[in-house]
Parts: sequence; C-alpha cells; structure tokens
Amino acid sequence: MTKRTLLATALVAVSMTGPAFAGFPDRPIQIVIPYSAGGSTDLSMRLLAESFKRNVPGATMVVRNQPGGGGSIGTSATIHARPDGYTLGAGAQGPLALMPHLGGTDYQIQDVDYVGMMSRSLQLLVACKGAPFSTYDAFMTYAKKSEPQIGNSGAGGANHISAEAFAKAAGIKVKSVPFGGSSKARTACIGGHIDAMVASPAEALAQSQAGNMTPLFVMEDKRIDLFPDTPTAVEKGVNFTWSSWKGLIAPKGIPDKDMKILRDGFAKAVADKKFQEQMKEMGELTQYEDAVMLKARVQKDSEAAESVIRDLGMYGMNK
Amino acid sequence: MDVIAYLAPLFQLNVLCAIALGTLGGLIIGALPGLTATMGVALLIPLTFGMSPVMGLNMLIGIYIGGIYGGCVSSILLRTPGTPASAATVLDGYPMAQKGQAGKALGMATIASTIGGLFAALVLATLAPQLASVALEFGAPEYFALALFGLTIIASLSGDVLKGAISGLLGVLISCVGADPISGVLRYTFGVSGFASGFSFTPALIGLFALSEVFVQMERLSVKDQTIMTVSGRWPSRQDMIESWGALLRGSLIGTFIGIIPGTGSGTAAWISYNEARRSSKTPEKFGTGYMPGVAATESANNAVCAAALIPLLALGVPGDVVTAVLMGGLMIQGLAPGPMLFQTNPDVVVGIFGGTFIATFFMFVFGMALVPVFSRILMIPRHMLSILIVIFCFIGSFAINLNPVDLYTMVGFGVLGWGMQKFGFSQAALCIALILGPMAESNLRRGLLQTSDDVVAFASGPVTQFFLVLTVLSLAWPYIAKIRARRRAN
Repeated sequence: MTKRTLLATALVAVSMTGPAFAGFPDRPIQIVIPYSAGGSTDLSMRLLAESFKRNVPGATMVVRNQPGGGGSIGTSATIHARPDGYTLGAGAQGPLALMPHLGGTDYQIQDVDYVGMMSRSLQLLVACKGAPFSTYDAFMTYAKKSEPQIGNSGAGGANHISAEAFAKAAGIKVKSVPFGGSSKARTACIGGHIDAMVASPAEALAQSQAGNMTPLFVMEDKRIDLFPDTPTAVEKGVNFTWSSWKGLIAPKGIPDKDMKILRDGFAKAVADKKFQEQMKEMGELTQYEDAVMLKARVQKDSEAAESVIRDLGMYGMNK
Repeated sequence: MDVIAYLAPLFQLNVLCAIALGTLGGLIIGALPGLTATMGVALLIPLTFGMSPVMGLNMLIGIYIGGIYGGCVSSILLRTPGTPASAATVLDGYPMAQKGQAGKALGMATIASTIGGLFAALVLATLAPQLASVALEFGAPEYFALALFGLTIIASLSGDVLKGAISGLLGVLISCVGADPISGVLRYTFGVSGFASGFSFTPALIGLFALSEVFVQMERLSVKDQTIMTVSGRWPSRQDMIESWGALLRGSLIGTFIGIIPGTGSGTAAWISYNEARRSSKTPEKFGTGYMPGVAATESANNAVCAAALIPLLALGVPGDVVTAVLMGGLMIQGLAPGPMLFQTNPDVVVGIFGGTFIATFFMFVFGMALVPVFSRILMIPRHMLSILIVIFCFIGSFAINLNPVDLYTMVGFGVLGWGMQKFGFSQAALCIALILGPMAESNLRRGLLQTSDDVVAFASGPVTQFFLVLTVLSLAWPYIAKIRARRRAN
C-alpha cells in the first residue's frame, strides 16, 4: 500500500466521521405540500418520501402540509425558501401553471426550479347519473343545442380550465359549475345534480361499474387500458389532450452538486418497485420525467391555460 | 354464517390493540386544541400502509371516534373547543365546570358520545345501503335550505334578538373573506396572500372562545376571589339522566341524519341538536347556564356523525365529512375503491368496519370514563397559571393546523373580538354558527341559481328544499306561536 492511498483512505475516513465534512444531505429534507393531509398529493408525497429514504442512503424526507389559497400558499413557501436543498415542495399543475395567470400569487413560473416529475394523472370526461347523454357523440349533439353543466372542484382550478379548454377546442359552450373540492363535485355528479364532470380513471372505474357515471372520452392521445372502449377526443377529430401531474419543485439557487444528488435520488425513488406498486393501488400513474422535461411541460400547460383563462375573462382578476 | 367469519379477525389481540391505541390517541389529539380528528387520521395513514385493511382502517376509525369525543374535554374544562365539533359543548359544559361539576359534565359527555355513537353504528350496520340514497338527494338548493334553517338557531340562541342578529350578520360578513366560491375572485384580503382561503376556522374558533375567556379571567384576577375549584364525581345522577333522555335521543337522530348528508359535518349537527333540545325543553331558560341536557345534546349529535358519515362513504364512495374524505385516501391505499361495489367485492372489509365502529365506541367509553378524574384535575391548577397554559395552547394549536403565521393574527384578532362581544352582551355562539353556515348558504344559493339560470322558482321547487324552507319559517315564528299558545292556555 503506498503512502498516497493511505492518505486518501485516512481523508475519506475523516470526511465520513467529521460533521464539517459530511456531505449533503446531513439533516432531514422537508417537502412542503400545498394541500391538506390525506389528499392524493399528500399521500403520494408521503410514499415518495419513504422511497427516497430507502434508495438514498443517509437521507430522510419529512413532509409538511401548508394548505390554503388553492395551493398557492404552500407553493409560495417553497419558492421563497432558503435554497439550501433542505426545503423542497410538491409541485402541482394548479398553483404553478394556472394560478399565476389569475393574479394574486407572489410568484411566476420562471421563479421555480424543478427536481422531476413522478406521476401523471389521466383524466376523463364522464356523464353523470341521469344525464341526457351517455356517449361522446350524444354529448356533442346535446352540447350543440344546450349548454351541459360540467362540475369542477373550484373556479380557476385544473379541471375547470381543462373542461373549458375542451369546449374551446371542440367549438361548444358549456356551463361550468364550481364546487368546493372534487369530492363535493363527485357527490353532485352521482346524485345527478350536474350533467358531467372531469374525473380520474380510478374514481370513474368504480362509479361506472355501479352505473353512476359513464365515461365519455379520455383526454389522452391514445385510448387507455382501464377504458379500452372509451374514445379519445383526438380520434373524434378534436385536437385536445390534458393531464395533470405531480412533481417535486425547489427554490432557485440550490448549489449544482446538491441539486444533482436530489435529482438522482428522486429518479431512483420513482423507479423503486414498491413505490410504483403503492402508487398504482392509489390509482396514480407513475411516470418519471427529468427536470428539463418537466419544465417544458409546465411551460406548455401554462401557455394553454393562459389562453383559456383570458377567454373566460379571469386573467389577472386577483391582481 | 359469513358475518361471524368476517367479524372474527376483529378479535385478534393485535387488531384490538390497534383499535384501542387509535381510540386513545384520537382522544388525546382531540382534547388538545388545534389538533383535530382530521389531522390525527391524516398523519397516521402512513402507519397503516403495512397493516391488513381491517386492522388499519379500524385504527383510523378509532382515531376519528376518539378525536371527536376528545374535543369535549377542553371545551368543558377550558372553554377551548378541542375540535370544531365541540364548539357547542362550550355553552353548557363550561358553566357546569365553573359550578364545580366538571366531573359530571365530562361523564355526561362520555355517556352521550357513547349513546350517539352506538345509535349511529347500529344504523350504519343495518340500514347503510338504504339510507345512503338520502345523501344523493341533496343538491345546491337543498343544502342552501338546510343552511338557512340552521341559521335560524341564531334567533333563538341569543336572548337579545337584535344583538344576536348583529353577531350573526357579522359572522356572515367575516366568512366572505377569501376566494369567492363561484368566481374565484379574492374578496377582502387586502393583498395578504395568507387570507386567500379566508380566515381559518379553527384558529378563529380558538380565539373566539378560549383567548377571549383568558382576557375575561385576567380582568377578574385583580378582584380577589381565588376559590379553589371543586370537581364532582363522574356519574350523572338518575335525575340528570331522566332530564337528558330526550336530548340524547334527539341528538343521536339529528347527528345520524346530518352525518349521512355529505359535506355538513359534526359541528353543524351539534348546533342544530343543541337548539332542538332547547326548543323542546320545558325549561329552555336553563340552557346556557350549565344544564346537563345541553351537554347531552351536543355530544350525542357530534359522535353520531362519525359512524353516520361512513354510510355514504362505504355505500356510495362519497365522503360524509372532511375526516371521512381522508379515510377514503386510506381505503384507496389499501387498494379498495370505496363505492357501491365495495359491498360485493369486499364484504369482509365492510363488515369489519361495521364491527370496528362498535369496538372503537366501546373503547372510547372505557377510556373516557377512566380518564375523567385525571382530566378534571386540570382545574385544580391555580387560575393564573392555567390561563398562561391556555394562551400557550391557543398559539400552538392555531399554528399547528396550517403552519400559516396569518392564522396567529386571526386567532388573536378573534380573541379580542370575542372578549368585546362577551363584554357587551353579543352572542359568540351566533357568530360561530354564522361562520359555519354562512359560506354553505352563500355558495349553494349562488351555485343553485347558476344552474337554474337565476330562476328562483325552479331553485325552490324540490320537496326537500321546501320542507326545510317551511321548517325555517316555523323556527322563526316559534317564539310567537309559543306565546299565543301560552296565552290561550292562561285564559
């Protein structure tokens, strides 16, 4: 053994024990979730935190719920956190791509840095119980003569904008009925108090088996496994796709080498088999995208949303 | 018998332990102001990842049931609603404690919670699929009419009708802060982003009842009347039970009904039940002065909501309140889709949950009764030290919910408001009711009119809507009807 290797070994040994030399992360990383505990974003992030712990030796992640303002309060807290890599946030479509256009947020999408995307939430338009249509074609015929009432989880929220975006692309008019949260919209839908709503495949599957909802079309460019008989809007000649996503975001200015550790660790955590199984049971579609791809996706969503929000007259309404 | 086979797993030692632990944990979480049952369930969901569905879900249900019950402890002892569900218990529970009957008040609350819980659990186990359809009858007009009916409580609750109306309207005005429920426009936030969803309810409640009481106590500290509080035994007398019987039964029924209707919750049930108990009492003037049926009415109703809220969740996949919405997440993680199919695909889980509800209610009773003497000893702490402790809890509790500093200003602001209201004879309860029901009335009125294109006649055409509208009118006219009847009888 030469002197040099000895010295190197000693150095490594010192750097592993001495706190001053300890690498990032040497304390728990906090993920700010801009929604209440128990929702799908919260549960997915808790699963991710566990997977991160399993896959990145020595790292721990804890979640912190900071709900309010449709997600803008927690998202703002992430973006304005100290960029030391110890505060990250759950990134969601609403607060990032939509809400800045409404005004009232103290951030814009260019203020955000990305770690990566972990899942995509596919969406369907479903007909509610007792609706006067049960297929895509019947829906379109109906929409040509009167406005179908489409429920959403809140004005300016993701599924309000997606329903209006479809109406714009298809050249029909709809009446958007906002509810305080998606579960209230679903209740109204099953009770037949609205005509249609935007739903996730998991909730649509259980309710359509019971005859309470009928899927009309999938907002993807190809049909999906769960609903092989349900058409897409694209195949019906309407150039429209929409999906929501969940990712991990960060404040700008985290040192590059720490950011690399986070991004690599995140990729490993998402690829984890147990994580993917648990996500699947919750009805989430795990899909990894790196920071560059996610950034492009957010940008694209933001642009699509902006034009719809301007048409609705909601642009900058909370400035 | 299938049912017995499905129930057997419940009686394994580890499952029983999980339910007991969940119930005890929920009880403590509920008793601490600011830590709500919702939070308790949400925070412990990850613990259930590795458990069997029946074990994990029943532990969560234990937390839920324990948490809603636990809220009464701090309501009665400290005038601090441990959870929003127990805000109405303050009205009679706290005066009872002040009269030296803390033990009895807690004992009655425990008995009432148990009766309400068992009643609703029985309904859940026998009639869930049949009753679930009630949940679907409620559209926007029906919710509006129900909220309007609830708001009439303000008139009968406050002795001075004018001051009561002012408090109520102030509450409705305050609840307008935040995003408009239909257009999403921010109202009265004055550019403070923390107010984007309005004043947070729990911090407002803590300030309104608890901090304001500390201010009142502080005024009294200078006057030298340091009596050591006494605490009575825990069992209500036979006479107490006879007086409270009607309130218990009515509370259980109202709680079960309100629980089935999605999106209303235990706070609403407790207020409506309190009002009905008072209205039908032969001695309504005793309510609010530390009268046992007042405690019986609110606590039987809010715990009946727990099991009843599971009815639409299990039978339809529609959560009955916020906690059951979180529970739904717990079900889905177990790979179970709540909904009409659950009864066919997983009868073992459904029956297991039915059974678990009974077991958790039983544990709640045992732990509650065992802990009454321990809890009531809190009142032995000297007044000035207790006040400081309450202030600390007010701040911790308000901040812990959303980690939003704005909530602390909310809490202090409502504390000052509550103190002023108490001093000048305005009803804090009326303000509290308006904070719960005002937003429900507003959003549903506007949603309904949006759906009917501003056609008021179409809006009010449903039978359920009309039923509640008639009840509203009757409720407002009741004092006059009662007066005329009394006069007739006198002649």
